[in-house]
Amino acid sequence: MHPLTSRRDFLIKTGVSAAAAHFLYSLPSLGWAASSGTPKKKRMVFLFSPNGVIPKHFWPDQLGKEFELKRILEPLADYKDRMLTLHGVCNRIKGDGDGHMRGIGCLLTGIELFPGDVQGGSDTPAGWSMGISIDQHIKNNLQSNPETQTRFGSLEFGVMVPDRADTWTRMSYAGPNQPIAPIDNPYQMFDKLYGQSKNRELLASVLDDLTADFKKIEPLISAADRRLLDDHVQMVRELEKELQTELVQQNKQKDVGHAVPALAANVNEENNNIPQISKMQIDLLVSSFASDFARVATFQITNSVGQPKMRWLDIDEGHHELSHEPDTNEAAYEKLIKINTWYCEQVAYLAKRLAETPEPDGQGSLLDNTTVVWTNELGKGNSHTRDNIPFVLVGGGCGFEMGRAMDFKGVPHNRLLMSFSESMGIPVKSFGNPNYCEAGPLSGLTASDA
Amino acid sequence: MFCLFSRTQFALLGCAIWLTVGERVPSQESDVDGASKPSNQTLAERGASIYRDSCANCHGGGGEGVASAYPDPLIGDLSLGELTKLIHDTMPEGEPGQCVGEDAEAVAAYVYEQYYSPAAQVRNRPPRIGLARLTGNQLRQSLADLYSHFGGVADASEKRGVSGTYFDGDRFKKENKKIERIDPVLQFDFGKESPGEGIQKESFYILWEGSLKVDRTGWYEIIVRSTCSFKMDFGKSERLFIDNHVQSGDKTEFRKSLMLTAGRLYPFKIDFIQRKRKTELPPASVSLSWVKPGGVEEIIPTRHLMPVTGPGAFALQSVLPADDRSYGFERGIAINRQWDDSTTSAAIEFSQIATTELFPRFLKKHKDEPNENRAQLKAFLKEVLETAFRGPIEKELEQWYIDRQLERTDDDAEAIKRVLLMSLKSPRFLYPLADSGRSDSQLAADRLALVLFDSLPSDEWLVRLVRQDELKSPDQIREAAKRMVRDYRTQAKTQQLMQEWLNLAQFSEISKDQTKFAGFDAALVSDLRASLDAFLEEVIWSPESDYRQFFRADWSFATPRMTEFYGEAWKTEDGQTSGLARTVADTRSRHGLLTHPFMMSGLSYHDSTSPIHRGVFLIRYMLGRTLRPPSDAFSPLSPDLHPDLTTRERVELQTSSENCQVCHVKINGLGFVLENFDAVGRLRETERNKPIDPKGSYRSRADENVSFQNVKELADYLADSPDAHRAFVSRAFQHFVKQPPDAYGPNALNDLVKRFGESGFNIRELIVEIAIIATTPPENATPPKES
Repeated sequence: MHPLTSRRDFLIKTGVSAAAAHFLYSLPSLGWAASSGTPKKKRMVFLFSPNGVIPKHFWPDQLGKEFELKRILEPLADYKDRMLTLHGVCNRIKGDGDGHMRGIGCLLTGIELFPGDVQGGSDTPAGWSMGISIDQHIKNNLQSNPETQTRFGSLEFGVMVPDRADTWTRMSYAGPNQPIAPIDNPYQMFDKLYGQSKNRELLASVLDDLTADFKKIEPLISAADRRLLDDHVQMVRELEKELQTELVQQNKQKDVGHAVPALAANVNEENNNIPQISKMQIDLLVSSFASDFARVATFQITNSVGQPKMRWLDIDEGHHELSHEPDTNEAAYEKLIKINTWYCEQVAYLAKRLAETPEPDGQGSLLDNTTVVWTNELGKGNSHTRDNIPFVLVGGGCGFEMGRAMDFKGVPHNRLLMSFSESMGIPVKSFGNPNYCEAGPLSGLTASDA
Repeated sequence: MFCLFSRTQFALLGCAIWLTVGERVPSQESDVDGASKPSNQTLAERGASIYRDSCANCHGGGGEGVASAYPDPLIGDLSLGELTKLIHDTMPEGEPGQCVGEDAEAVAAYVYEQYYSPAAQVRNRPPRIGLARLTGNQLRQSLADLYSHFGGVADASEKRGVSGTYFDGDRFKKENKKIERIDPVLQFDFGKESPGEGIQKESFYILWEGSLKVDRTGWYEIIVRSTCSFKMDFGKSERLFIDNHVQSGDKTEFRKSLMLTAGRLYPFKIDFIQRKRKTELPPASVSLSWVKPGGVEEIIPTRHLMPVTGPGAFALQSVLPADDRSYGFERGIAINRQWDDSTTSAAIEFSQIATTELFPRFLKKHKDEPNENRAQLKAFLKEVLETAFRGPIEKELEQWYIDRQLERTDDDAEAIKRVLLMSLKSPRFLYPLADSGRSDSQLAADRLALVLFDSLPSDEWLVRLVRQDELKSPDQIREAAKRMVRDYRTQAKTQQLMQEWLNLAQFSEISKDQTKFAGFDAALVSDLRASLDAFLEEVIWSPESDYRQFFRADWSFATPRMTEFYGEAWKTEDGQTSGLARTVADTRSRHGLLTHPFMMSGLSYHDSTSPIHRGVFLIRYMLGRTLRPPSDAFSPLSPDLHPDLTTRERVELQTSSENCQVCHVKINGLGFVLENFDAVGRLRETERNKPIDPKGSYRSRADENVSFQNVKELADYLADSPDAHRAFVSRAFQHFVKQPPDAYGPNALNDLVKRFGESGFNIRELIVEIAIIATTPPENATPPKES
């Protein structure tokens, strides 16, 4: 028996997570944990782009370390030795819902959709997923351990997700029938992350003008009532002092990666602003990781059946509409390659920002400890296949052996979800529908496996 | 055991009420001492006589000082001991040694108690209109109106129910509209059938639109149960509240809580859709329920639903600290960090709605106007500021509050937040009475809005009157006040007055012994409460608006549940089988609110009546008299220990001592009259096989002794008694104005009571009169005019 497997079994049998076991039993450091000092942080980001890819220009032909980057993956060239492409992983979940619905609704949950009334173009109608998604599962486990607990646990980012809650617009689930709406407004996300401290900053900056006005109003108040106003002014002054001290503290912290990012002003949520919104959201994601607000994030660009019109690439048609065109439509084919390349650029920008941001504790960069999983609800748009779901991993959080192209030749994607869980220190016997989990997590992902 | 425990608690609570809620009792300390140590009484008398004989010459008869001798008033901060020594050592001036030992002690005690001590100073200060910041409630209402300034306030309407539009097919398509009607409540179970003629059962769409009428501020839980897809907007159209666009599995219950502000209409819309599908169709059902503050879950009753959709409303969700109530009405006089923090979060919350709803609406309205240098944003913020500050703002303020803040950020949302943070924390917003220097019309509008709405003037018509300076003459002010009294905001504030006048907060949770009163459950209590509210509302807002109906009405409101529990007398006029409806007349068991089962059960114990609670309620709240607290806390005698005694006999036994009788002669005399109503308010003729003795008496302020043979005589007395009128008017004045009536002139209260009588005890007119007095500054506050 493989040593790692037995350790995994031991942990499952004792019912404790790896991190907890490490803490409780002082076991020698586990394969995927840091070797010295405080345990390394492990983070995961699930980045979604819709409507399938053009496989021919996506998947490397050559497996192993000597793989080549096709056109769509070209933007990741700088990270070639820190990425993994996982061909042959298939979403096998059946049941209610059309291909797109099951594509996104079962992608991170690995389980069927409830019967419901959302009727897609074909197949039966369906409702929400019957289970929790992998990001939320990991989040819950990290949050239950004081050592890995963070302010939010997870953050759900979106880019131009339509303002409607249906099976096509949700990929993250807190549990059965509990879809989580991604926040696709950068200002709203900013408010969630930094609202409190930003408000304190604003308050501090208006108090001065306000105290001046208190002076102006004093003569309007009779002597007998002055006391109430004096008390008020006194209190405002104390608050002012307190806020000053607080801001000084905050400025000190800025040097260690807790900077509050500056957002471009007045960017409305509209199609043509997608590139700008995407960049703002990625910046917020990176700074939230730098501040250790969360260790798990989802990043959902539009939605399943998403219709962004990438006019900034001179493409006027909506993405979904184009994705139905046959491969013989050369113009559409070319556009789809461009569209997917643009998505890849978003992944690359995220990787770049993570790579250039040092870990606050000085152990390398954020990318060293973060795995970005770029995925999609379909393998290919015009066939609606959920075989060979695009899974491209970048970065070091999971401890996989990177810099390779792999082919699993048709395994249920539940097994990959199990691998993610295990690599984050949470070994599980199954994830989602157990019928697809019998063979256990995928092997060959980590160096010791290989 | 439980019973005894709750009794003790109740008794202790009773004492606590006396101690805290009382009108100012002159010197509680000496009263209590006086009751237990009669020698102090003699000491005080001795001191008074020495003061009269030897001190008043120089210090004045009331300690005010004498210009030619010792001009300063007798006030200070020495302790009683120090004051005694000072007198012993130095008084009278020039002849020390004349007033020493016990004499010095006696006169010091007298002076200290009457004039000198800090407590006496407060007591002797003439009443005045005091500056106060906005109370929590006023802040809430002011922000709601600041929001409504941009969209308007919904008008009052008699219509009730929800407007329903039924379509064949699962979407809005004019030509597929099959039914348009008013549904009284939202509770439907269509099963697998069609909801109406011409509509296919497997695919339909129903649009329900209406407004939720909220009478009380507090936390509400809204509950939608639906087996089909639905979406609900609440508060304003497009403000998504519950999103069940996807019907999924057996998720059919949706609950959401939020804080709602009284006197507002919250528009809502429900899109209910049965979608055609390839799989088996589930049965279609939907209902709209709520849990009101302190209530139980129920289908939202028709009287709270209106088939109109107004312009939208803002309900502040921030938690605000409770306000000072030491004078018996809320006053904004506590300045502390907790309050300050709450104003910050309120300002931030409001800035969000200003950014997402108000500013876009403003832009839409002014879309054809130039927008260079953020002119639109500036214009918007100026309008917000002028509404919040109750009047035009000068250039310098505009620079401080707007220009300077805009310079610091290019982001519109942040600019709005900056300006609102500053202006909603400004004394110009927070102190509504710090507005001297404003035009007369502005002052009048400010006070009318504050007194009647707990808010600021923001309605378009009122703002226009101010701008045109047409709110100056008494007639103009009266006209405006009359219009405002009809508004839901005044209605809500009047309902609050009822809570205070009837002291309803004291019996928030009523439960009864189920072996004796089976069926008296939380749902019934909730109905009783709704019935009392409906009764009070009907009396006040009926054309006569006659206060005497509070005690003389032989009708009320009932639900089927009440009819079932209380029997014949609580049948409804039209035999309605759901909801609240007016009851048949019954002169025997019904005397307005006095014998209403909510009052009777609230003023009772778990298993028996409490003539003491009923008596204290009548004397303190209905007749406005002062009671001293009892010298000790007592547990009532257990009925089980005296199985042969009626409640009346038992209470007489326990309160028979001379000490008790000082007060209980007043309390029992009123409380016994209600003995015909048991602990749940059912009429009874006997107790423990003995006939009920409902006789009682009352000695009025005018020292007139009144006796009552039965509850009808008491009800008539309360309807006509000057003491009761005065108590009601005084309570109403304090509630609306939040200042002592005497601050508006020594005769302000008497005049109001007189006018109340002249108007046929018209409650609405009383409210108008109160608003007018508050709007017209008291004579002593204006400088004497030169002749």
